[in-house]
Amino acid sequence: MADNGADFMRSMSIATSGLRAQAGRMRVISENIANANSTAQAPGGDPYRRKVPTFSSALDRALDAKVVTLGRVRPDTSTFRIKHEPGNPAADTSGNVKYPNVNPLVEMTDMRDAQRSYEANLNIISATRRMIQRTLDILKS
Amino acid sequence: MPLNDISALAALRTRMQWHQERQRVLAENIANSDTPNFRPHDLVEPTFDAQGGNASSGVTLAMTRTTAGQSMAGSGASAHFGQNGNGGFQTRPAGNAVSLEDQMLQVSANQMDYAAAASLYSRSLRLLKMAAGKA
Repeated sequence: MADNGADFMRSMSIATSGLRAQAGRMRVISENIANANSTAQAPGGDPYRRKVPTFSSALDRALDAKVVTLGRVRPDTSTFRIKHEPGNPAADTSGNVKYPNVNPLVEMTDMRDAQRSYEANLNIISATRRMIQRTLDILKS
Repeated sequence: MPLNDISALAALRTRMQWHQERQRVLAENIANSDTPNFRPHDLVEPTFDAQGGNASSGVTLAMTRTTAGQSMAGSGASAHFGQNGNGGFQTRPAGNAVSLEDQMLQVSANQMDYAAAASLYSRSLRLLKMAAGKA
């Protein structure tokens, strides 16, 4: 079993790519939540636009395995929420203010989903580590 | 006689390689659990004949070669195990068919089966030692 450790390392690297992608997704989600009420600087301007992370599966040639990468972060093209607030500095001539198209509920569910996927990848790493430990135990017998 | 000529050990070795390969496939499935249009894969379980040799088609044991300097080294190519692509039953709207719960179950089963094969392997080694009168 000369290449045993190295092959388990492949599983670990794949799971690490998953961890990295989910952490990147978490960063985008937190950006959305933090900017849930960011209006435009200029009157009548567009506020913060929600960002959507995308995943893509890529073949890592060094590993010879399908790893996951965080692709381009795309803007959400849905419409903004409009509130009538004449006193707001960001209001246009008719007194309407555009608010970001961020729905905190959607962001929260996305966050839970990211968390769950992250934990699953962590689980792979600990299971693989236990398997490596068993392999090393053969040496001790 | 090389250790791998003993059929029980060879079979266990193939079995362990299979579990190792399967761990990689499962890791791939879980890492890609949010990738659109990704379908999970699994490996076909190896079957053994009465001599402990590999009976399933397309499966070959890795050759062992000697290299200068080292006494023995496994060749880089590990055994090839058949893949089966009908892992998912539910496909989500994004076209992704990975079920995290199913995958987690398979990972823990894989890990436990590997542990069983590994302890059988070391048990067999201990038996050999005993037979050689060294235990």
